[in-house]
Amino acid sequence: MSSFGFGLITAAVLAIATVGFTMQFAVTNVLNLAYGSVMINSAFVSYYLNVHGMTAWASLVGGVVTGAVVSWALNRFIFTPFQRRSLAPITVVIVALGVDLVGTFGLQAIVGGNYVSFHQSPGREFHFLGMILSGLQLVILAICVVVLGLVHWVLKYTRLGKAMRATSANPNLARNSGVKVQRVISTTWLISGALCGLAGTVLTMNTGVFEATSAQLYIVLLLAAMFLGGPGEPYGAMFGALTIGLATEISAAYINPQYKEVFAFLALLGMLTFRPYGIFGSEKTN
Amino acid sequence: MSVELTQPGLVLSTTALAAGYEGRAIVSDISIEATPGKVVSIVGPNGSGKSTLLKSLVGVVRVLDGSVTVGGNDVTNLPPEEVAKLGVGYVPQIDDVFPPLSVKENLEIGGYLLSRSEIPDRIAAVVDRFPRLKEMMHRKAGKLSGGERKMLAMGRVLMLSPSVLVLDEPTANLAPMIATQLLEEFVRGFADHGSTVLLVEQRAKSALRISNWTYVLGGGRVVLQGPPEDLQENPAFIESFLGGGARH
Repeated sequence: MSSFGFGLITAAVLAIATVGFTMQFAVTNVLNLAYGSVMINSAFVSYYLNVHGMTAWASLVGGVVTGAVVSWALNRFIFTPFQRRSLAPITVVIVALGVDLVGTFGLQAIVGGNYVSFHQSPGREFHFLGMILSGLQLVILAICVVVLGLVHWVLKYTRLGKAMRATSANPNLARNSGVKVQRVISTTWLISGALCGLAGTVLTMNTGVFEATSAQLYIVLLLAAMFLGGPGEPYGAMFGALTIGLATEISAAYINPQYKEVFAFLALLGMLTFRPYGIFGSEKTN
Repeated sequence: MSVELTQPGLVLSTTALAAGYEGRAIVSDISIEATPGKVVSIVGPNGSGKSTLLKSLVGVVRVLDGSVTVGGNDVTNLPPEEVAKLGVGYVPQIDDVFPPLSVKENLEIGGYLLSRSEIPDRIAAVVDRFPRLKEMMHRKAGKLSGGERKMLAMGRVLMLSPSVLVLDEPTANLAPMIATQLLEEFVRGFADHGSTVLLVEQRAKSALRISNWTYVLGGGRVVLQGPPEDLQENPAFIESFLGGGARH
C-alpha cells in the first residue's frame, strides 16, 4: 500500500503536467518536447525565491508565473514563426527538442550541477489505509484536485474553454464562428504554461532534492500518460497520468526504481502499437 | 420576444477575383453578385473551384487579385472572424460542426460574438426552426446523422443572424428526400425572408429549382450564367449538367 501512496502522489504531479502538455498539443498542434525543460526552469525560479526568504508555498507562485510566461514566449517567438512557414510538423518537434536541450543545459551552465532542495519541511506523517503520506504530499494532492477541478470547469463551462475545445476540433470553423483563434492559442499557452510551472515546482518539492537535469526523462512519463489517455484529450490525460503514475511506482516496488521510465516507455510503445489514439481518443482525432 | 433568424440581406459581390493556395490561382477573373431575397447558385464539375471560391469570400483562402465586398464594404482578405462579424454565415461542405462538442455547445460557439444574455434566446429561435435539435442538445455533434449534422451546421451560422448565407454543398451525403427538404424548405426559405443566399451545389437540377440566378464554373472561371430557366434551355449546360451525367 505504501507504493500505492507514492503512486498517488506521482500521479497527482503527472496529472497536472500532462493536462497542460496535452492542452498545448490539442489547441496549438505543437508537441512541445521542451515541456520538461520549462518545468525544471520554473522549479529553479521557485527555489531561488524560496532560498531568498519566501516560503516554499509563496515561491510556488513564482514557478507558476515563470512557466506561463516562458511557455507563452516560446510559442510567440519560436513555435509560431516556424508554424507560419508551413513546414512539416516534424520540424516543430525537432525545434522543441532543441529548445529542451538549450533550456536544460543552459540552466545547468547557470546554476551548476549540484543538487539543491527547498527550505521546506515535509510536515508530519499521516497513516491511513496502509499508506504513509507527509503533510507536503497531502497538500500536493489537494492542489492537484483543485487544479484539475478548475481545468474541468474552464473547459466545460466557460466561453474561453469552449472556444479552446472548438479551436482544437476545427480552427477554421472556429474562426468562421467569430472566435479569435490566435488569442485563444496565446491564452492556452499561458494556462498550460502555468500548469507546467506548477507541476515542475511540486515535482521538485516532492522529490526533495533536484538539479538542472532532473526533469529530462519526465517527457517519457508525459508522453506515456498522454498517449494512454488519448492525444489532445484533457480528461484522457488525467486518466493516463493516474494509470502511469500508479503503475510506475508500484512496479518500482518490485524492480529497480531506476527502470520506472522504461516501464512508462513500454506502456507508450504498447499504446502506439495497439491503440495510438488512446483510451479516450477516437480514431478520427488521431 | 421574437428573435429573427436572419437579418435583411446585403449585396455580396466579387470583381475580377483570383484566389488560391500558395500563390497559385485556382479560380480567376470571377465577377459574381448575390443580392437580398435571392438564391444565387454556383454549379460546376468537381475541381472547377467552387469551394475555393466560397472559401475566398469568407477569408479562409487568400484572394490573390480582385476584390470582395459585402454591403459595399471591402472584405477582401479580411480574417474569417471579421467576415463573420459583418454578417456573413458560412457552412463548409465538410468539417461543418465541432464533433467533440455537444449540440448546445456548437450553437454557443456559433453565437460566440453575442453577449452571454442573448445566447439562450438565439438557441431557442434556432431550435424552433430545427425542432429535431431540441431532443439532442447534449449529444456530441460527432454522433449525429448526416441530416442532423447539417441542420446543426445551419443552426450554428444562424446564431449570429447573418445577412448573407454562404453554403457549400449543403446536401452532400444526404438522402435525396432530406436534401430536397433542406434546399426547398430552409435554403429557399431564408432568401424568401430577405436574406442573401449564395449556394454551391452538385445537384444541379435541385439547385436550379430554388435559384434566382446561377453561375456555372469550369476550369476556375465563370463559363455560363443566367436565370435557371434560360440555362435549362442552353444546349451546353444541358449536355454538361442535366443530361445523363446529372446527379439529380
